[in-house]
Amino acid sequence: MIIHILNGFVYGGLLYLVAIGLVLIFGIRQVVNFAHGSLFMLGAYVGYAATAIAGFWAGVVAATLVLAILGLLLDRAVFRPLQDQDPIVTLLVTFGLLLVIEDLVRTVWGKDTLTIAMPDLLSGTLRIAGEDFPVYRLFVILVAAGMGAGLTLWLKRSRIGLYVRAFASDPLTTGTQGVDTERVSAAVVALGAGFAGLAGIIAGPLLALSPAMGGSILIESFIVVVVGGFGSFSGAFVAALVIGQLQNLGIVFIPSFSTMIPFLLMMLILLWRPLGLTGRAA
Amino acid sequence: MTLLSFDAVDAFYGRAQVLRGVSLAIGKGERVGLLGRNGVGKTTVVNALQGIAQVGRGAVVMAGQPAPRIRHYSAARAGISVVPQGRRIIPALSVRENLLLGAAVARPGPWTLARVFELFPVLKERQHTPGTALSGGQQQMLAIGRALMANPDLLVLDEPSEGLAPVIVDELAEVFVRLADEGTSLLLIEQHISLIRRVVERYHIMSKGMIVDSGPLAQLTTEKLKQHVAV
Ligand SMILES: Nc1ncnc2c1ncn2[C@@H]1O[C@H](COP(=O)(O)OP(=O)(O)OP(=O)(O)O)[C@@H](O)[C@H]1O
Ligand SMILES: [Mg+2]
Repeated sequence: MIIHILNGFVYGGLLYLVAIGLVLIFGIRQVVNFAHGSLFMLGAYVGYAATAIAGFWAGVVAATLVLAILGLLLDRAVFRPLQDQDPIVTLLVTFGLLLVIEDLVRTVWGKDTLTIAMPDLLSGTLRIAGEDFPVYRLFVILVAAGMGAGLTLWLKRSRIGLYVRAFASDPLTTGTQGVDTERVSAAVVALGAGFAGLAGIIAGPLLALSPAMGGSILIESFIVVVVGGFGSFSGAFVAALVIGQLQNLGIVFIPSFSTMIPFLLMMLILLWRPLGLTGRAA
Repeated sequence: MTLLSFDAVDAFYGRAQVLRGVSLAIGKGERVGLLGRNGVGKTTVVNALQGIAQVGRGAVVMAGQPAPRIRHYSAARAGISVVPQGRRIIPALSVRENLLLGAAVARPGPWTLARVFELFPVLKERQHTPGTALSGGQQQMLAIGRALMANPDLLVLDEPSEGLAPVIVDELAEVFVRLADEGTSLLLIEQHISLIRRVVERYHIMSKGMIVDSGPLAQLTTEKLKQHVAV
């Protein structure tokens, strides 16, 4: 049982890393980024390429940095111009971006699935409650937990974190207090994209890489964001853990039903608390 | 030195023109009042120097520097802090964090968190509550404290007495006078005449986006007030 719960945390952790980027970009730019799953996918491929050259750890650094830099560019070219647009326009543009990234990856790396080897350091297993559990999976949990804790501390304690929270709450007043909000926003979007890249590379050894791998994680991250209350950092954290667990326990105990569970949860939440678990009326 | 000057400024929201040829200047240590009825464009003067309303013809000069492209942060960085109409306390931040946000420009000067807490002890007591959980008067103190955290040369106060009980307005008047005595220049936008009389030394009256009368406080007659301000 403990093993199942740990596996739920692995998936929940990955979901959290992707969902938090959606929350950050939405909080700052009011843009729902349909291309976020492809950033995750691109992270895995960039990580794959860098791993082939300089090993897994270089892959982790490269995927995170390359995606963060791509985030900066996307913010400038796409999200900033979109921030005052109709939701339907942002949907179309970010969906177009998704197609472009998928196509690009298919052109460069082909459409066959690829695999990333685990680093030797993490390839063993650990005995937990009488069963073997892969060390690599613990590593994924730790990375997600570490990033979550780091992000929370950064938002709560740092000066820039203060500006980010202020901006998400009242962008105009934050600007008139002297904050260069465009720079803060660009940094936040870069952070969100970097998290997606990091999630992509660390998910690499657990999944088969394919240009379409961003699809299902995008949908489930959306569910996480909706269940958590759109724009809530802590809500996304709780929702990612819950959905990771439900999804995983579903696969174990009711496999034919498991993919429906997150959707059911979302529907229940929307009926019961339309603003999400942590949502408050504005 | 002139801290802020408007030279024949036209200002717009999109295509809608609100200010028409507004000129005014505020120098170091001055206390100036800006009066006028609702909707005449007083807040638009503030919005023009914060990049919220767009300046067309005319020139805005802040801290001696012409400001060709005004951004939201321009005024704060030029040493002009605004206590906005409606206070605009940030709900997601605590009292203390709202104050720290005011220090975003990090200009040197006497104002620190400790000094603001000294000026308004209630903010210290309630520093960890959400800013918007404070009463109206306390939120006004918070907005003033936040503006002071930037160590401004010029403090712009947009209808600070709005919606506050008379005793609190009295308290604030004392604070404004004290700040001015300590060397901060003031631009006080008000419809509350006794507050204007207690604080400023000269005034401008606006009507329909224009400045229609200016002078030393002594020339602010009841007749002018009747004509241009609801009394
Ligand atoms: N953000 C805005 N966009 C468009 N028009 C605006 C905006 N803000 C104000 N206006 C218009 O500009 C005119 C002047 O408004 P302004 O807020 O400057 O008046 P005011 O003198 O400050 O009034 P009050 O005493 O009620 O605060 C009004 O007609 C108002 O409707
Ligand atoms: Mg006004």
